[in-house]
Amino acid sequence: MIAAFHAPDIYYAGLSPVIALTVAICVVLLTAVFQPLRRTAPALTLIALATTAGLLIWQGGEEIDLVSGALRLDDLAIAISLIAVLSAAFAVLLSIREPAVEQAGSGEYHALLLGSVLGMALLAQAQNLVSLFVAIETLSIPLYILCATDLRRERSLEAGLKYLIIGSLGSATLLYGLAFLYGGSGSTDFAGIAAGIGQKGVTGDPLVLIGIALAAVGLAFKTSIAPFHQWTPDVYQGAPTPITGFMAVATKAAAFAVFVRFFDVALISEASEWQPALAVLAAASIVIGNVGALGQSSLKRLLGYSGIAQAGYILGGLVVASEAGVNALVFYLVAYAFMNFAAFAVVVARERETIYGDDIRAVQGLGAERPLLAWPLTISMLGLAGLPATAGFIGKLYLIEALVEGDYTWLAVFIAVGTMISLAYYLRVVAAMWMRPGGETSAAAPAIVGASPEADPIDPEAGRRMYLVAPALLAAAAVVIFGVIPQPLVEFAEHAGASLF
Amino acid sequence: MEAVLFFAAAIGALGGAMGVVALRDPFYGVLALVIHLFSLAVLFLLLSAAFLAAAQVVVYAGAVVVLYVFVAAYVGGDRESELEPIRGQRFLAPLLGAALFIELAIAVLGSSLLALGTDGPDVKAGFGDPAEIGYLLLERFLLPFEASSILLLLAAVGAVILAGRRVDLGSGPSGSHSRGVPAGPNPSSAELHDEEAPQPVGGRQPGDTSDEHSAKRSEGVSPA
Repeated sequence: MIAAFHAPDIYYAGLSPVIALTVAICVVLLTAVFQPLRRTAPALTLIALATTAGLLIWQGGEEIDLVSGALRLDDLAIAISLIAVLSAAFAVLLSIREPAVEQAGSGEYHALLLGSVLGMALLAQAQNLVSLFVAIETLSIPLYILCATDLRRERSLEAGLKYLIIGSLGSATLLYGLAFLYGGSGSTDFAGIAAGIGQKGVTGDPLVLIGIALAAVGLAFKTSIAPFHQWTPDVYQGAPTPITGFMAVATKAAAFAVFVRFFDVALISEASEWQPALAVLAAASIVIGNVGALGQSSLKRLLGYSGIAQAGYILGGLVVASEAGVNALVFYLVAYAFMNFAAFAVVVARERETIYGDDIRAVQGLGAERPLLAWPLTISMLGLAGLPATAGFIGKLYLIEALVEGDYTWLAVFIAVGTMISLAYYLRVVAAMWMRPGGETSAAAPAIVGASPEADPIDPEAGRRMYLVAPALLAAAAVVIFGVIPQPLVEFAEHAGASLF
Repeated sequence: MEAVLFFAAAIGALGGAMGVVALRDPFYGVLALVIHLFSLAVLFLLLSAAFLAAAQVVVYAGAVVVLYVFVAAYVGGDRESELEPIRGQRFLAPLLGAALFIELAIAVLGSSLLALGTDGPDVKAGFGDPAEIGYLLLERFLLPFEASSILLLLAAVGAVILAGRRVDLGSGPSGSHSRGVPAGPNPSSAELHDEEAPQPVGGRQPGDTSDEHSAKRSEGVSPA
């Protein structure tokens, strides 16, 4: 009766990035326990992330199923994992001297950050419904907590709670959808689902369709696509700013990775059913995100709404269900990552330097006062708006090209119109930096709305600190370099796209 | 016999679920949830998933419901809030809910009615028993199984971090609130000075010395 136990074949080289992250979580967590090691957590985290990045690059070009088909290591997974690792490294640098880190405990904070990266790496590789769901929870739960780590601010706890409740709703919807898909296809593997749907020979089985709809809604919650975006501005504003930057970039990248793999591999035969639905979501996202951003005075909320619009653009790459679409999507994700790093590094610096927090007044007169911060933010804003000579422009160009090729020209028009609307709010930030006189930065200024008594102490030197200025400059440089010489990034994205089709 | 059991359990499950939504008193809501969960366990048994049924009873009807009862007892039944953040919410929500219900009903009925005349799926011997599930967890789903252990570890770490805050907020007799006090240059000296205690760690005010700190913690914890 008892059958022999067959341990699954484990290809350790392919699994090495995930193993490195897991070990790093344990090590960083242990530094919280031993008194002399307290201060080493950020450095250890950076070392772990660098190791993981090295292992990921080492595995580049690999196409293999890992641990009885739970994961699929290919260039798409590697590309997205690299984005997640890089944004975690940025978040670590931006977190230096962040009050949230000291309140949560440096070891715990960084271990949670690494845990989230682990979830993202798993999610980017997931090709099984079970590993998909476990990965998405491993990604989300540390983020819920990280959002609430700024324990002295009410807003931070509110952000954590909101994210927890809405994120759980998204997860539950996703899980419900996955259950329907399993019921409709009889398999939990992506390839098995595709085969199960194909075997029936009919597209449009109601069980599969409702599964697709619910799964799409669940993933739309995670990627903050309208109309499932309401949590985004509040959570972005309330969370500690380094975490907001990490969330904006890495969560989106990882969720889009699984979105692409799930829909372009498992559900490709139903493409004609989900394409129009996702196209409508993308269009709604572009409109709602761009219009919502117009009236924002908080930079973090502005970037939140901008992220909703950008998610709409990125979703366009999935709508066409083609290799060109995935290429454009990965390219845009990388460009989006660098543009956001630059912006968030500047927001962090000004948040610590001025009394205005993340209000737009914090960057007034930045051009004259701190040109080394003003330029990255300017480049980032122009890039997000999609002006030529930035990576954002090339990315949008590829997306529009893929959409026109895939007969979704109307969505390309939405992207173009959305870009025009977005100029209004991106340029408002640029104008505030270069054309307005600087605001009062001294702590002696009268009480100002937005600067609550809970505000953190001001560090007048924050705008000169290398761990904030250098990431901003590097990210901005990347935006310009990939805008002028996009070829290396195009190849990177093409490898990722080729691994699916 | 099977049909009778099925319908009894199905009615119990549906009635319990509706009770959770409809009953005003949270205590009755939790009781309705217990009925729902037990009925589901019976349905699992009918599907020859004995292990799942047992786990359902032990984990959900046992542990989770006890947690709910605690929360309901502590927080109590608050009045429904009159707040309406989105205009027309009270009217729209049932409408959209009904639309979703109809969609789901079409999907579920569309497939399950087809299966009415059949004998159900062929289940191989040993399906759903603990041994089979053990094999699945350690062979086919080894990686998600291991990943969920990391997930639980992270969740526990998070719980410890957030529990530290709870004590901080409670109006401790020492009365020193950290809110409004700017963080000192080096608050890390006061944080997490106890390696052995997984219990909620006290508020990590920058000014606290270790002694005051632990004294405050014991005071802060006892009323809870």
